[in-house]
Formats: sequence, C-alpha cells, structure tokens
Amino acid sequence: MMRSHEVEQPAIVKLPPAGELARLGVLLLAALLLQTLVAPNIRILGASPDFALIIVVAVAMLRGCQVGAAFGFLTGVLVGVALLEPLGMSALVFVVVGYFAGRYAETADVSAPVAPLVGVFAATCVACVMLAMMQYLLERQVPIGFWAARVLVPSLVLNTLLSAVFYLLARRVLRGRGVLRADETA
Amino acid sequence: MLQRRLVAVVLVLLSVGLLTLYFREADNGFVHRVQDGAMRVVAPLQEGSARAIQPLRDGWNWVADLFSAKSENERLKEEVEALRAAVADELTTQAENDELRALLEMRRARIYPDDVEFVMARVIARSTTAWYSTVTIDVGSNDGVRPFDAVVNGQGLVGRVESVKATASQVQLLTDQQSYVDAMVVPNQAEGLAAGSVTGSLSLQYVDKSEEVAKGQFVVTSGRQGSIFVRGIPIGQVEGVGAQEVELYQSITLRPAVDFRKLDLVMVVRR
Repeated sequence: MMRSHEVEQPAIVKLPPAGELARLGVLLLAALLLQTLVAPNIRILGASPDFALIIVVAVAMLRGCQVGAAFGFLTGVLVGVALLEPLGMSALVFVVVGYFAGRYAETADVSAPVAPLVGVFAATCVACVMLAMMQYLLERQVPIGFWAARVLVPSLVLNTLLSAVFYLLARRVLRGRGVLRADETA
Repeated sequence: MLQRRLVAVVLVLLSVGLLTLYFREADNGFVHRVQDGAMRVVAPLQEGSARAIQPLRDGWNWVADLFSAKSENERLKEEVEALRAAVADELTTQAENDELRALLEMRRARIYPDDVEFVMARVIARSTTAWYSTVTIDVGSNDGVRPFDAVVNGQGLVGRVESVKATASQVQLLTDQQSYVDAMVVPNQAEGLAAGSVTGSLSLQYVDKSEEVAKGQFVVTSGRQGSIFVRGIPIGQVEGVGAQEVELYQSITLRPAVDFRKLDLVMVVRR
C-alpha cells in the first residue's frame, strides 16, 4: 500500500486503456489475417500487397510513434511466425516504419487527405531498402534493376493505392482524431 | 521524447536479437518450434484461403495471358484459347483434374525408381516477397516429408523441401536464387548445374564449351551419385546458348518445364 508521503514513480511505458488495447488488437488481427491468408495468394505486377505495413503505418499515424513502434514489432513477429520467414526481419522493418510514421504524424500536419498516402509511400520505400539491405547481408543476390523494377515500383503502387482504404478503416476502428502535434500539445 | 526513443531502440534490439537467434539456432530450436506450433494453426487456414482465392487467381492469370498473347507467337495464342475454354468450363475443377492426370502419367512413365513413395500435396501459400521463390505445402513431418525431398508436378521438377513442420513444409522452388540442381541435356548428356536467380529465370551453368548444346533440347536431372534428385526429372528446355571468348563455360538459358505461376497440386518424392 502506498503511503501519503511516498511519490508515485511514473511508469517507463504507460499502457493504453483496455478499450484502446482491444481496438488495437482488432487491427493487429486484421493485419495478420490479411498478410498470411490473402497476400500470399495475390501477385499483381510481380509483387504482393503488404497489408501489414499499411496497417502499421495507419496505426502509427493515428496513435503516434510509441504505439506505432510497439504495434509494428508485434505485427512483424506474428507475421514472421505465421509465414515461416526469418523471425525478426519483418519486426525490425515494422518497428522502424511504425516509429517514423508516428513521428511524421506528430510533427507534420497530417489533416490533408493525401497524408496517409505520403506516409505509406515513404514507409514502403524505407521497408524495401531495409529488406534489400538485409538480403545483401544474408549474401543473397540484390540486383539494383530487379529491385527497382520488380520490388520497389510494384510495392509502391500497390501499397499507396491501398493505403487510403486501410487508413480510413483504422481510423474508424480506433475512433480517434489522431495524434496531437508537438506544437498543439505545448 | 527520450522515453519514446528508448522504446523504439529496445524494440529494434529485440528484433535484431530475434533475427540472430533464428539464424544461429538449430532447426529444432525454440524459435523454429514456435513457428512449427503456429503452422499447425495457420496451415489449415491458409489452405482454405488458397482454395477460396484460386478461381480469382486463375481468372487474373487468364487475363494476363490474354494481354501478353497479343504480342507473342502462335504457341501462346493457342494457350490462351485453351485457357479461355477452360475458364468457360469450370476452370478450377478442370485444372485440378488435369494436374492429377499429369501426375499419374509421370508415375506411369517410370521416371522414378520403384522404391520411392509419393506424397500428394497442395500449395497453400506463396512467398510474399520477391527475394524468395518459395511456397508452403500442406504436408509435413506427420506425412513422412523430410528436408531435401524432391517436389514435382505433372510438368517436371518444382524444387526441394527446405524446411519441414508437423503439418506443413516450405519448398524452395527451382527458380530461387539459391537453388542449384545437377542437370544434363538430353540426348547428348552434357552436364551442368541448373541454377535459379533472383529474377526467376533459369540457367544451365558450368557446361563445357566443347559440349554441343542446341536451342530446344530438353534438360533433366542428372541423378549423379549423391544428388538428392533421381535421374530424368524434366527441368526445362534450352532457350538460348551463348559463349564469350574469355569464358570457360557456355551461357545457357532455360525455359522451365513447370509453370510456377500456376502451382497448385504437387507431389513430394520420398526417398
């Protein structure tokens, strides 16, 4: 029991309330199901849409960099487990993408309708570069022409086209106006 | 702000730790066992979704074939016609029947020794990144599948089993950039290695310049001693032959026997 003269120490990481956690859980489940059951069966322009990445960016833009990074990590680990991928690869990419998408929403005006598209576009670029670098470190072939034509461009087109739909879906599930910018919180 | 950065750094370190653990541990290590457990749940779901999406994928492939056929030769035009007819006539069921018939023909053709067994499997997922040419099939160690088992379909060699879980396995396709198969050209028996690439193309490497190889010749597994594949499984057809003065070996490109876009039913060859 806490005595009156004791000062409560702030928690290092404050968990969101239960309702918020449940809503994030719904989005996590949606990302996992889409990425493991639907994406492996779709190949357009030689690439599969990265539903998990799009949802991670949407959550990060609506809830900030801390939630974005944590949500990205969990999504990446679960996708890696379910798709028999090298575990940690997607998690690493999604943590970085989730963090910086969250920072983008916290520091820039994301009220414009084009903001989610910009976020997903940039996140897809970062993810493609990171995955190519990891392939290189794993001593696999990474021809630049192939990477640009068969990985980067199709992923950018597919993910950006899908981003608006999933951003609206995520905003509806999370029922929020989004993160406050640094200048608004001051 | 510092706290947010700290959280991100911790999560990045955790991810790197997981990656390190994944590559350092044995196939029966903790992380791999977690994936094994997850596959027991995910594999049936993937099988269901693959079946549900199959007609849509067939339709998409048909449209893609239709567009490319306009600029290609008569062979492709005939193929499009065949696909058009197939779409009109319950495409999915028809394709399955054809595949099963081709697999039976392959067994009757006695390419395989009498002591090998076959395990019928269905492709339930494909790699979602362009860096890996792999598929997941719905049979695993419970069905007697082991790593390095050959995987074939009615058209020829599909690849080899890369990792095995209880109820599902991952198959490295012939076109994967880390796939190398002992191969030979028939009928002159020039030997080499059929190698995949990141672009999905197939080539025959290390064929001596003195060997006469011509466009259109067939390439099959050589089944050399120690090879994981039996002799005579079709790999593809020679599409182009070239050699530079300074190179030791010929540069041979192959057209795969298997249409990897339409993989559905396959057989694992148990040794």
